[in-house]
Amino acid sequence: MTYDFSIVLGYWQALLQGLGLTLKLTLLCAAAGSALGFFVSLARVSSIKPLRWISTLYVEFFRGTPVLIQLFWFFFCLPIAIGTDISNFVAATLSLTLYTGAITSETFRASLKSIRKEEIDACIALGLSRISQVLYVILPQAILRAIPTLLSNFVSLFKESALVSAVGMADLMFVGQNISSNIARPVEVLTMVALIYFVVAFPLTRAVTVVERKMLAKLAI
Amino acid sequence: MLRAAAFARHLRSKEVVTTMNKIMSNKTATQEFATAGSQYKTAAAGVSGQPLVRISNLHKSYSPTVQVLKGLNLDMAAGERLVVIGPSGGGKSTLLRVMMGLEEVNSGSVNFAGQEYICADESKQKTKINLDVRKQIGMVFQHYTLFPHLTILQNLTLAPRKVRGESNASAEERGMALLTRFGLGAKANAYPNQLSGGQKQRVAIARALMLDPKLMLFDEVTSALDPELVAEVEQVIMQLAEQGMPMMIVTHDMWFAKNIASRVVFCAGGVVVEEGTPDEIFNAPKHERTREFLNRVFHI
Ligand SMILES: Nc1ncnc2c1ncn2[C@@H]1O[C@H](COP(=O)(O)OP(=O)(O)O)[C@@H](O)[C@H]1O
Ligand SMILES: [Mg+2]
Repeated sequence: MTYDFSIVLGYWQALLQGLGLTLKLTLLCAAAGSALGFFVSLARVSSIKPLRWISTLYVEFFRGTPVLIQLFWFFFCLPIAIGTDISNFVAATLSLTLYTGAITSETFRASLKSIRKEEIDACIALGLSRISQVLYVILPQAILRAIPTLLSNFVSLFKESALVSAVGMADLMFVGQNISSNIARPVEVLTMVALIYFVVAFPLTRAVTVVERKMLAKLAI
Repeated sequence: MLRAAAFARHLRSKEVVTTMNKIMSNKTATQEFATAGSQYKTAAAGVSGQPLVRISNLHKSYSPTVQVLKGLNLDMAAGERLVVIGPSGGGKSTLLRVMMGLEEVNSGSVNFAGQEYICADESKQKTKINLDVRKQIGMVFQHYTLFPHLTILQNLTLAPRKVRGESNASAEERGMALLTRFGLGAKANAYPNQLSGGQKQRVAIARALMLDPKLMLFDEVTSALDPELVAEVEQVIMQLAEQGMPMMIVTHDMWFAKNIASRVVFCAGGVVVEEGTPDEIFNAPKHERTREFLNRVFHI
């Protein structure tokens, strides 16, 4: 059997559309998820106990169950629970956002913890109020420190978003699968799809290393 | 460690020695020092005869077994430069941290310019701090504490803007003037990681001065530095001394202690063991413990 990769080129428009949806979903869930994760991380270090409990439960639950089940639950169970239909786009966005929220909240929590105690002493010595300490010293540094890990979180999200093909969303994975079974060329098509994922993810993972080095240098003391 | 100190001594620039000589010639007339055209008039000590700082019967333990301050008493007059020496673990940092409102105390109180501003409320096991009084005191730490995400100038202007509501323009103008005075004008827009340790500590001093403190606390501000960077930081402290800034300095650098102090306090085991003029403490210590400590320090 000979392989003919040029055959895949004939489907470039469909693949591009699939990639477009994958990217759209990734960007949307990365943005909404990290915003959510940021507030959840604050809740987890809050002095209000119930807030800490609820946020911890949420994070542990979403970190401790397969993303595929979360996705299925939002797609199949939530409509039954609330008695209205929801589209697969809404189900996918909801579940991936909540998943990303849980993951990134851990990233933010680690970066919040990494603020040096000595700097807080200096804040107090300078008479900065608690609010000012948080707004001008703690949060800006925590966010900067979180950036490299957040980028890795986004790369993982980009790859894991392939799961949404399981609820019939026409993302890159779904399109690839369809083409490959239609033309019975799994080797060429699936290899090409893998390559497309790689071509997008690889520069991002490289960027993580670069940003990390820059950030470490900048925030070193 | 001692070798490093000796090296640092060797490296001290002429300038430091000149500053030092000026200060030393003034040493006998502390009052004159404080008033003679000085920038930092000790206004806080307006009421004559009253100490600038009064520390009364301070007790502090970190845990039931770790008792650090055991009834410490200390007075500091206006215009004094008090140097606190003593073995490590003796509670010197804890004392300064308590004065800065960074630690709770078990009992005792601290007065500043006649106002009690730190006081243990033993019934509630809480320490009451009068922030308005406390804000008249500035402190520089042993560790680097500049905010790494802010430029040098932003490090200086943050507190004046957020604590006092000073305008950005006015804070920047004062900040630039201070930086220029400390030879750091060119670094205004650099970030802390681009500075040497000595420069960082000078910026930390400038940052504290931005709030116009009436008293400065220095806790071993040169001990984290490479020996060749010690002099530039000590020189800045010397300049401040020359301008009449009251200060309390914890240091292991006996050369510096000897030359900047108007009074030396030997603190060990959580109490003041002995105090006196630099001459008294370094040349004729009365207590065995002081002698022992000084022998150890000076015996290279
Ligand atoms: N946060 C803390 N928790 C527990 N013990 C502490 C803490 N800070 C200091 N200590 C202990 O208190 C003692 C006095 O410390 P410190 O005031 O730093 O002494 P010095 O500055 O004279 O070396 C030391 O034995 C130290 O281990
Ligand atoms: Mg100490």
